Amino acid sequence: MNYQKVRILKSRLAFIVSTLTALFGIFWLVFIIGDVLIHGIGALNINLFIKDPTPAGVEGGGLRNAFVGHLLITFFATLMGVPIGVLGGTFLAEYARDRRIARFISILSDIMVSVPGLVVGIFVYAILVKPLGHFSGWAGSVALAIIMIPVVLRTTENMLSLVPWTIREAAFALGAPYYKVIIQVVYRGAATGILTGILLSIARVTGEAAPLLFTAFNNSFFSINMNEPMASLTVTIFQYAMGPYDSWHAQAWAGALMITVFILFITLIGRLIIKWRYKR
Amino acid sequence: MMEKALEVKTLNFYYAGKTHALKNINFPVYKNSVTALIGPSGCGKTTLLRCFNRMHDLYPGNRYEGEIIFNGINILSDRIDLIDLRSRIGMVFQKPTPFPMTVFDNIAYGLRLKGIKKRSELSERVEEALKQAALWDEVKDKLHASAYELSGGQQQRLCIARALAVKPEVLLFDEPTSALDPISTGKIEELVIALKKDITIIIVTHNMQQAARVSDWTGFMMLGELIEFGRTDRIFTNPSEKLTEEYITGRFG
Repeated sequence: MNYQKVRILKSRLAFIVSTLTALFGIFWLVFIIGDVLIHGIGALNINLFIKDPTPAGVEGGGLRNAFVGHLLITFFATLMGVPIGVLGGTFLAEYARDRRIARFISILSDIMVSVPGLVVGIFVYAILVKPLGHFSGWAGSVALAIIMIPVVLRTTENMLSLVPWTIREAAFALGAPYYKVIIQVVYRGAATGILTGILLSIARVTGEAAPLLFTAFNNSFFSINMNEPMASLTVTIFQYAMGPYDSWHAQAWAGALMITVFILFITLIGRLIIKWRYKR
Repeated sequence: MMEKALEVKTLNFYYAGKTHALKNINFPVYKNSVTALIGPSGCGKTTLLRCFNRMHDLYPGNRYEGEIIFNGINILSDRIDLIDLRSRIGMVFQKPTPFPMTVFDNIAYGLRLKGIKKRSELSERVEEALKQAALWDEVKDKLHASAYELSGGQQQRLCIARALAVKPEVLLFDEPTSALDPISTGKIEELVIALKKDITIIIVTHNMQQAARVSDWTGFMMLGELIEFGRTDRIFTNPSEKLTEEYITGRFG
């Protein structure tokens, strides 16, 4: 009898502790997102998207240069990072399957996933910005691509490994060469998983400021020249939030809101794809 | 004198890591007949089956010795084009292996590999293969639905149709009904018997009744050796080896 009471007490205690910790986590999450929403929505206006920044201290203006720059840098980062990540993951899961080299590269990319963006930024600064003598949009894209590659690579590897080996054997048994087996059968089976991984990696780099600070730097003017320093939302938010003007702070909030919404949007698409996949 | 589709001559097979999995195997496979390979788990019957389409080549380190003669050529030779060989000796696996695509594309897969692109020819060959696999009536209205929407038994017949579409001379079945219910199993068995008028069939099964029902010839294997080979009715009624008799009467295995 006594034992049963102790057991019930323990069970309640576990319930209470886990609920409290969950609430603690959710509290900060709601706090942060709520704060961004409250301040961001108040600062949203159409000028934000169609006007470039005014000189420091002058009211008005927008962040058009930062929005466009951010999209360009992310777009080219995706263009560089995704093929390398997907093909690298294919190498690990298919050609190097069960080999020691695959295990080694997997562990390395797991470490790479957790390397701070700042370190990547400094690395690209050393190999691209310093030798070329100037910051550029390309350097920013390369830095983001380096962050994306291990994420895409590991998701691709995992998703390809989930495709049953017998499916490949069945394709081989019909007389298919390996590259056709991979492209026509295995990729098809893993397509939604890989796509989700790509989307999540885009979401991951969209919020990065540190790697861009040392590579694309910033630009107060509108520019679509990837060879020049380029504005990005995250770096602009960093600069504006630190700046002395209230109008800058408001625009930083609005920028933060837009990034959050963008990431939410991408994550939602990813989740919808997963849901759609497993319903069938 | 019956014509031989395949002849296995002093075949030895070693898995990477030196396991001697098949020991000195000799037997003929007659054209337009069903040959069953039976034996306890781990006896090497699936290993033997996978020699006929050189499936072991997918994994490094595996080694064949001896010969398998197919149309006068030793298919274990290094100079054999495996892609060509596998389009002439097809395989159906233990579990259904539909590709993640539509029913139509599944069947058309092997045809497209062979370079057939014309839509009309593809449709014709797909329909022919599905009819041959006794699946046409069940799937003719869902050719463009995902193959995963079919039941397990239908998926297995889909895989048979996919293998048949490329018109192989020999079809290998690796325990094709072990993952299926009795009704689906019955359908596949009927199909195997019906198919032998067109092609030669080798079937691995752990179900002795199934071997007795569908096959003309039976090979009994144990520990990598072919203990006895002969007419199915003789093997099951009057085996010459004591081991065969003990296995068939259920004393081990």
